[in-house]
Amino acid sequence: MSHVSLPEQFAFLEPFVATWGGLRSQDERYLKRQELAQGELEAFHAALAPRLEEVFVHLDTFDPAALPEAEALLFRVVLGLTEASQAVEIFGQPRVPHAPFPHSVNMEWAGYQPH
Amino acid sequence: MTDITEHMTKARDLGLENDRVPTEYYTSPEYFRREQDMIFRRAWLMVGRVDELPEPGDFIVREMPTLKASVIIARGKDGEVRAFHNACSHRGVALVCHERGNALTFRCPYHAWTYGIDGSLRAIPAEQDFPHVDKATNGLARIHLDSWAGFIFLNFADEPEVTLPEFLAGIDVMLEGAPFEQFPFSIRVTDEIDCNWKNLVNAFNEGYHVAILHSKTLRAAVVPRENPHLHYLDVKQFGPHSAGTVQRNFDYDPQAPALTWVYAQMLPTSAPDIAAIEEGRAGFYEHPGINRIKVPNFGTETITIFPNISIQPLANGYLFYQFWPISAGRMRTEVRIYSRHAPRTLREEYAMASTLAATRDVVVEDMAMSRLQQIGFESGGKTYQQFGQNEPLLRMFTRDYEAYLAGGGLTKVPTQAEAAE
Repeated sequence: MSHVSLPEQFAFLEPFVATWGGLRSQDERYLKRQELAQGELEAFHAALAPRLEEVFVHLDTFDPAALPEAEALLFRVVLGLTEASQAVEIFGQPRVPHAPFPHSVNMEWAGYQPH
Repeated sequence: MTDITEHMTKARDLGLENDRVPTEYYTSPEYFRREQDMIFRRAWLMVGRVDELPEPGDFIVREMPTLKASVIIARGKDGEVRAFHNACSHRGVALVCHERGNALTFRCPYHAWTYGIDGSLRAIPAEQDFPHVDKATNGLARIHLDSWAGFIFLNFADEPEVTLPEFLAGIDVMLEGAPFEQFPFSIRVTDEIDCNWKNLVNAFNEGYHVAILHSKTLRAAVVPRENPHLHYLDVKQFGPHSAGTVQRNFDYDPQAPALTWVYAQMLPTSAPDIAAIEEGRAGFYEHPGINRIKVPNFGTETITIFPNISIQPLANGYLFYQFWPISAGRMRTEVRIYSRHAPRTLREEYAMASTLAATRDVVVEDMAMSRLQQIGFESGGKTYQQFGQNEPLLRMFTRDYEAYLAGGGLTKVPTQAEAAE
């Protein structure tokens, strides 16, 4: 990882940067969710889910296509919750029951480059 | 409240008595070979949407594992969309290696034989050494192409037995004017798994499994109290194609902080947009061919186009599923989540990524179960599987599958002039 840090007011997410901050695609986040323990996913969810609005009020002030490095890192960490919340809010376990492990799925956005 | 039991179409209502189906259909390489020849080389197959190729010169390349076909689909300078086998006329090289792009010509990377975007052979280096090659008859090999409602269909027969409208057999009429074009943005999910492709076709053709297999992902959102086995309603047949009406729970209110936040940003493709419905601008909900029995808690019309497509129009877009056999025991699922526009904000990107994860996980549940089903089939202890009265579309698909394998299935609808004779 580089020396980029989260914006100061989101330092509470620092413990999750090493896990989620370097992932660059939905499939990488899906694979990460499968390999983490449920307790780790729950801790991330507990820290972030109630404060999503606060994060996006901050991100709203930037051009989505030209995020500064700190905000780009913040958004990558936050996108990890799209997968972690499936484990915590839906399944009560990291993996989809009966699915192969590790399970990689190709996901492609047409004409849009997701973060 | 409407008595929905009267709309629960049973197999007997459609005269479908095939309640047992040989597992051999799902495990035998010989059946797979016959499927390639008798179904996938005869039926019209959906491969994309015309709005993937808006400009002259735009092209896409599609790999079709069932037929081992590599296909170039390109919009010519004249505006016409054409399909070709991706194979150079010289020594057969698959010459277009990009998945999509815009080009004036296609140039083979081996010896630089060059083709127009319309497939015509334009240039042969050292042409004097190929006096036997008539450029006019050595363009890229064409594949029959037609489109309906913006969907591109191909037919791999030398001469198609029926036209695309004949093939669609009335489901095109039912969906006439359906607003697919209002939802141009898509996210595509592709996965391969060890099971027969028909396991997935069947899973999408019955709601009986939803409360069980999808107990955590879908049950609360879509299985209504008055229809606990999610029996499809008002099943309609159009040749081998079909449609059935499915309910959902409008009072579904996920008490989960991340999901609640997502719903507040941008409704998932599958969620009813109640404000839009009340104002009459809810896309497919207003279409007369969809939910013709007017169930008040309408969820989707599950539309099956033979042999391998399921389309679910929803209030905020539509879901498109396609199931490609690779062998008797392996298949590829392609899912496309169509919505009104690409993300405009990071909030919307998060919401769409969340919806993507949720939709994918439901499909993963279906694929995981289909893999377990394949393990059971191949174990060999059971020689047939059984379809209930509440699974009429599985019987119907099997009936038409057998008809295709026997050389039929494609009924040419007489034109009005022919009918009058």
